[in-house]
Amino acid sequence: MKKSYVIKRILYSVFVFAVVITLNFFIPRIGVEDPAERYYPPQGNMSEIEYEIIKQATREQYGFDVSPWQQYLNYLEGLTHGDLGMSFRSGSPAVADLIIDRLPWTLVLSVSTMLIGLIIGIMFGVIAAMKRGRWQDTVLLNASTIMIALPSFFIALILSFYLGFEYEIFPAYTDPNMVSNFEWTFASLRNVAQNAALPVLSMAVGSIIGYAQGTRNAVIAVTNEDFILTAKAKGLKQNTIRYKHILRNSMLPIVTSLGMSISGLIGGQVVIEQIFNWNGMGTLFLEANNMNDYPLMMGIMLLLSGFTILAILVTDLIYVLLDPRVTVGDKR
Amino acid sequence: MKNKLSIKHRILQEILKRLKNIGLFLKRIWSHKQGKIGLTVVTLLVLIAIFAPWIAPFDPYDVSDRTLKGLPPSTTHLLGTTLNTGQDIFSMLIYGTRISLIVGVTSGICIALVGSILGVMAGYIGGAVDSLIMRIVDIMLVIPTLPLVIVLTNVFGRDYWIIILIFVALGWTGLSRTIRSLVLVLKNSNYVKAAELAGASRWHIMIRHILPGTSHLLIMSTALSSAGIMVAEAGLSFLGLGDPTAISWGKMLADAQGGGALLFGAWWWIIAPGVGIFLAVFSFMRIGIVMEEILNPRMKQSSGVYKIFKNLNSAYVEDVFNSMDDNQKIGITAATESKRKGKEETDGTGIET
Amino acid sequence: MEQVLKLRNLKVIFPSHGGIIRAVEGVDLDIHQGESVALVGESGCGKSVTSQSVMRLIESPPAITRLDTLEFNGKDIKNYTHKQMQDIRGKEMSMIFQDAMTSLNPVMTCGKQIDEMYIRHKGVSKKEAREYTIEALKLVGMPEPRSRAKNFPHELSGGMRQRVLLAMAFACLPKLIIADEPTTALDVTIQAQVLNVLRNMQKKHDMSLLLITHDLSVVSNIADIVYVMYSGKIVEKASVEDIFHEPYHPYTRGLIASVPKLSDTEKEFSQIPGTVPHPMKKPNGCYFHPRCQHATKQCKKAMPPLISVGKNHEVRCHHPLKDMKKEGKA
Repeated sequence: MKKSYVIKRILYSVFVFAVVITLNFFIPRIGVEDPAERYYPPQGNMSEIEYEIIKQATREQYGFDVSPWQQYLNYLEGLTHGDLGMSFRSGSPAVADLIIDRLPWTLVLSVSTMLIGLIIGIMFGVIAAMKRGRWQDTVLLNASTIMIALPSFFIALILSFYLGFEYEIFPAYTDPNMVSNFEWTFASLRNVAQNAALPVLSMAVGSIIGYAQGTRNAVIAVTNEDFILTAKAKGLKQNTIRYKHILRNSMLPIVTSLGMSISGLIGGQVVIEQIFNWNGMGTLFLEANNMNDYPLMMGIMLLLSGFTILAILVTDLIYVLLDPRVTVGDKR
Repeated sequence: MKNKLSIKHRILQEILKRLKNIGLFLKRIWSHKQGKIGLTVVTLLVLIAIFAPWIAPFDPYDVSDRTLKGLPPSTTHLLGTTLNTGQDIFSMLIYGTRISLIVGVTSGICIALVGSILGVMAGYIGGAVDSLIMRIVDIMLVIPTLPLVIVLTNVFGRDYWIIILIFVALGWTGLSRTIRSLVLVLKNSNYVKAAELAGASRWHIMIRHILPGTSHLLIMSTALSSAGIMVAEAGLSFLGLGDPTAISWGKMLADAQGGGALLFGAWWWIIAPGVGIFLAVFSFMRIGIVMEEILNPRMKQSSGVYKIFKNLNSAYVEDVFNSMDDNQKIGITAATESKRKGKEETDGTGIET
Repeated sequence: MEQVLKLRNLKVIFPSHGGIIRAVEGVDLDIHQGESVALVGESGCGKSVTSQSVMRLIESPPAITRLDTLEFNGKDIKNYTHKQMQDIRGKEMSMIFQDAMTSLNPVMTCGKQIDEMYIRHKGVSKKEAREYTIEALKLVGMPEPRSRAKNFPHELSGGMRQRVLLAMAFACLPKLIIADEPTTALDVTIQAQVLNVLRNMQKKHDMSLLLITHDLSVVSNIADIVYVMYSGKIVEKASVEDIFHEPYHPYTRGLIASVPKLSDTEKEFSQIPGTVPHPMKKPNGCYFHPRCQHATKQCKKAMPPLISVGKNHEVRCHHPLKDMKKEGKA
């Protein structure tokens, strides 16, 4: 029964991904009569005929000379061997190459934010729940009331103002040579860590508070369950009850929220990368947007959505491992 | 003629009833400390947004006087001026309330409407309609929102009503899912079944019987999604992708960053719009969270009990225990009742959350 | 007979937003070796709180507990620390809860949850514990105990889950078993099976049983002594024969009359008018007086004391009813 759930779940993710690919292809084309005009906007000093010639050349270069349907099929065909199309940038570099250059740098930020958020957040949450009603709990509650209303980009500006400019503890702007000079040496890694400190910190604050709050509520909810009373009546030791009964059960909602939070994390990171000039996918995306480079935008969107689908799938499967009750359609 | 009058009368009665309900409802939110804070700040912000031209001491768009550049806060310029254009930041802050509230609240309300209608349809009609709506929800869930909003503003333009439309188009999913599961429960409730047996039409049942059952949830969702969208709108304008003609808090922050506020230590230029965003988001969130507590009181008890314990009057507890003894039962009424009242009064102010 | 449990003057309150909830108001309880004692009352009368207080499972906060004496098995456990209590719970006294679905950990196999008892109190290895567990499941009549032990609670039927709880409670052969509405959530036929197991195990090992229930038919089958509780107070205490044949309290009489009998010729079910008082707004005087046909001025003014009306028969009433037949149906 579980096996069939897993297979169904995976097939469903594939279906969602297929729909996302399709949407991703057609949304940027809404309201665009001629993609070539996007690539090469009309210029004043150019005659109609000249412009038409240039547009025709563009169409041929980018494959816009066939019907949208054929373009879509070509796009799909390209995807099968990792071809995301050509960017509108000068030199028409492959979208996939542009993305691959930036991907590791984005992952540095998002993975460390996630890890820090999860580890510290769950720790704080458990502490607050165990010390319910005491100062630890009150501090968390008050912190989350305030932090939840502070957008991460404002936190980033404040951190960059005080820690970056005023006290110069961490660089307020990313070292522009960080990427090009990167080697697998301690000095280089330390440089990355220093530059990543502020962006990660600005995103992690919200993450920590979010996970801490979620963990606290989950732990408290489980503590009030009947089976915890049973465990107490069995004479089990405090620690056995805590770790074997309470924690495992309270991880369930956290695993679910983990998958859901990824999409938000990605969105927030776009702004943070921009603030710190971090050379990641977020800045790449904004560059693409400013240049109307929609093959590149499409490529990034596709990757981000694929990521989210994968993350939700993985967390769902972990959930199945943790909760024996899950069968098809049972979860939410 | 008589019939018409009675219809008018009934409509009037209905409206009065609704108004009274809303009044009761606000009173309920008001009875929480958190709700009080939220309602007060929201009201204040709405008033500021409406009367912005009268409140703002300067024209926020005025960039003519170059001598005013980069003034720190003073009695004339309460929050100082911008470094590059010399605009009065306090006035900009006041005007910024408008765009934030309009985008946030309008989207919040529309999301509540769209989300509840689609959720009720999915839950009540079921079948193909249900699976279609839920598939859409699943798909929207995996597309990162902010990048998608950026793509859509690129395609459709950046007027703020377009931005509202985009937020609504992307924001209804979570609510509709919640409403759907609620409707599935309500659908099997006896009074909906009775209405069905009595021959009421599907739409009639949805509107008269099912939607009212979700009203608390809708207000909560409106408050929370308004808050979320204010953050998103600020983020969008911060990236320079909001409505280019309006003064918004996000854009102020972006100008501050671009205009060297960080570099030259013009903290007031960063703090002011940040506080604006914070207050707006915070107040709407408070209302949403109080609603959540009203809807789901179990969460609230958990820490409330501890506060009650802290404020417990031990003499009163002793009296209660003593009054339980058989021979003393007769004496409880007069002596302890007054103490109890006094205790409850302090409870009223001292215990909340 | 050796006295297993001696509880004197238990009072439990729950401070809350609106005021203080008076859950238990001075309850005395005596249980002897091998005896079955039933604590009967409507929901909300404080019987569950009483039973959990005996195991000292009621925590503060949310509750405040006062008691004069709590002696278990000759030991004064009133001031035992948490650690000392942990050694007694499960081993010397154990509890069976009402709803086996929520009382079992959903993400742990049933076997493991029983294993825990042996690992904790007998200090055996996991493997040995499992052998004990299977033996225990066999004793409570679980079919295919070895494979059932590997099931999760949601995979078992209600009756089987209840058997898991029984096996868990009997695991260490405790002196005292507290069963809190052990059959309420079950079908009638399954109820009988579970009650039989419960009674047989208890008699076989000469354990004492504290049965919490609102179901008088269960009481008549199992109990030796019956305590009737109303709104936090014991209103009548007697042997099971006396309770059914000579109830003195109007409330007890009402409870008995409301059990439907085959011989009933009247069309309507007999019932007690009104509802249990709110635990924050209890009436003055006798708590039962607003629902009592026989209430007088005195009843409205003063709470009656518990008075002795016969051998081991006590009642809390100003005007105890003498003869059931004369009064007719209450």
